[in-house]
Amino acid sequence: MLKRLYKIPVIIICLAAMACAMPARAQEKEDSDDKPGKEISTVLTSGNKTSVFDSQAHYTFEVINPTANPQTGTVSYQVTTEKGEPLNSKEIKVNIGKNSSEKYSFDIPETHIGFYKVNFMVNVSDYDDTVRRVFGLQPENIKSKNARPADFDQFWQTAKDELAKVSPNFKVIPMPKLNLDNREVYLIEMQSLDNYTIRGWMTIPITKNKNKKFAVLLRLPGYQLDLQPVEGSDNDLAIIALNVRGQGNSRGPIDTRKDEFIFYHSEDRNKYVMRGVIMDCLRCVDFICSQPRLKHDNILASGGSMGGYLALATASLDKRVALCSAQNPILCDIRNLKGEVQWPITSFEKYIQTKPGLTMDKVMDNLDYFDGKNFADNIKCPLIMGVGLLDHFAPPNNEFATYNIIPSKNKRIMVFKDLGHEISQQYKDFEGRWMRDNFGLF
Amino acid sequence: MKFVPQYKKYLLLALLTLGTVCSYAGGFPTRPGSLLISPSVNYFFANKQFDSLGVKKPFPDNGKFNSVYISLYTEYGISRRFTFVGSLPYVINNYQQDGKTFASSGLTDMETGIKYYLANINYKYYFSLQATAITPLYTNPNLGYQEEGAEFKVAFACSGTMLHRDYYFTLENGIRQYFGDNGPVQDRYTGTFGLTLDKKSREQIAVSLGGFYTVSNLKKFNAKSNLSKDFSFKQASISYGHSFSKDFTVFLTGGTFIAGRNTGAGSSAAVSIVYKIGS
Repeated sequence: MLKRLYKIPVIIICLAAMACAMPARAQEKEDSDDKPGKEISTVLTSGNKTSVFDSQAHYTFEVINPTANPQTGTVSYQVTTEKGEPLNSKEIKVNIGKNSSEKYSFDIPETHIGFYKVNFMVNVSDYDDTVRRVFGLQPENIKSKNARPADFDQFWQTAKDELAKVSPNFKVIPMPKLNLDNREVYLIEMQSLDNYTIRGWMTIPITKNKNKKFAVLLRLPGYQLDLQPVEGSDNDLAIIALNVRGQGNSRGPIDTRKDEFIFYHSEDRNKYVMRGVIMDCLRCVDFICSQPRLKHDNILASGGSMGGYLALATASLDKRVALCSAQNPILCDIRNLKGEVQWPITSFEKYIQTKPGLTMDKVMDNLDYFDGKNFADNIKCPLIMGVGLLDHFAPPNNEFATYNIIPSKNKRIMVFKDLGHEISQQYKDFEGRWMRDNFGLF
Repeated sequence: MKFVPQYKKYLLLALLTLGTVCSYAGGFPTRPGSLLISPSVNYFFANKQFDSLGVKKPFPDNGKFNSVYISLYTEYGISRRFTFVGSLPYVINNYQQDGKTFASSGLTDMETGIKYYLANINYKYYFSLQATAITPLYTNPNLGYQEEGAEFKVAFACSGTMLHRDYYFTLENGIRQYFGDNGPVQDRYTGTFGLTLDKKSREQIAVSLGGFYTVSNLKKFNAKSNLSKDFSFKQASISYGHSFSKDFTVFLTGGTFIAGRNTGAGSSAAVSIVYKIGS
């Protein structure tokens, strides 16, 4: 009985507190309608996880109106080719009540194979917005219209023959001050095509077993990146980060400004910088195969952007590469890049203006020998490739035109519909599992 | 009068049970060239039984059964796809019943087999097949069926991360046929879920549920073998593992029967070592 009496004032106090709080909360809600943070927003949902469709593309466009004002206007979409040529469009009038949302479904009537840009737009009383996306139709059937030079293989055989004549003079220099917690760091150095000195870094897991041999991740560099010693927790893997000529600690006779590297000597296919760069990658494979602590049949060539392109070229030209992982490789189906991307096409155009007599046709003829698509024919090893549909440097049409040529039966492409010139952690995780499985590192 | 048949009946069950508890969590492929050695010691004790209707009751005449099962399990990665698998068990049995004691010991059924890495899904979910030959290494009829046999096993294994910790999950099911007159057919199954407890994956815990289902044309007591060929049981176990290095791990395991028919109702405790060479 006493306990019950004790509870009564407590209950009264609680009820009073709640009564006081309720008006305050109601006031908060009214105030919040006027807060600038509470804005109309949109959610675009693709008909599937990758925005790659067999027939029609399907999207749902949701407009959320959390304000106290009804919204009238239009919701629309506009489809263009990757080069910006307008195709289908549709506009519908909408009326969205206050504090509500509406969903609008769109079946896009494109039927031709390929990738398309699509912009979804909302234009209502208090809000205008555009959401840009890319979708694909049957990309596995995309084929390039551009031919491979008949003497492509001969061109590269000549380059390899020239490389073979250069004494590599491999150097492995311990860098104990740079050692990581679990890895020894070495500066590596070698002579490549034209007797150019190239350098890179090798990190090897610290182990008491001096006879242990390591599988190799050959990390190839992105455009004008200066690769540093690579950390890693994998105790079975040596990691080599190669700085090709003109980049990082391999700058020397080739020491261009950042935007000049891509067109350096593109007027002559035998002098174009990428000829040497690709041979640098092959020379690094030579290096791996000269090292007794490295497994010569367990080499994964991997890279992103220019590194992805170099991974394709290296796997194509050197069969000692056991696995190839190319993320957003640039320079694929180069002739088809014009109109789809600005870089690197604009860089080549600028270069032509500085070289009297040089034409874009001549540069394109030369670049045919450096087209990632044209390396694809000879890639026989297992391969994975990552593509971002919003990529401004490596558009999906070009990536698939390259991927589809690769004859390897063990290949996979991972599409990221919301990413640009990048891949997700999901790709990196998959790459690790895929590498370990293929190398039997269970 | 019941003494000998009771003892022999539960002896075999103990052998089978202990073998299940000690087995290494297979299912994943084995690294080519690497050797895995796993010695284990398992103590099993039972003073109750599940009868033919699955009702749990004490052994007659205050019977108590205990057994020490010592096993050497090994795997060798022949190639990326093929793995040699072998086990060599030794058992020491003791059954007491109202002043009487019966004991036996010796090597039992040696197992040698090949595991084949069949397929994977996204390099995350692994499937394997295993064919195993069973070779009796004894003449004492109290140690087993004294019959050669064969087993075909399907295994599934996966691993990943959960709550910032690594986990693995395995499912195995093997069908074993002992040859000879009225040789029993056994279905042996086990599912295991393991989780690391620290970021460096040195501590781990695993729970398992496994069991046997055995049938034979001969459902009654067999005068020739004196061993039951028609029984089933389920047992649950929990393991704690500590890795001293990535190549050397010690497991402590406890298990108990949770259901059965024509079988003992006991519990076990085991210690096992997993040592990898060449990984």
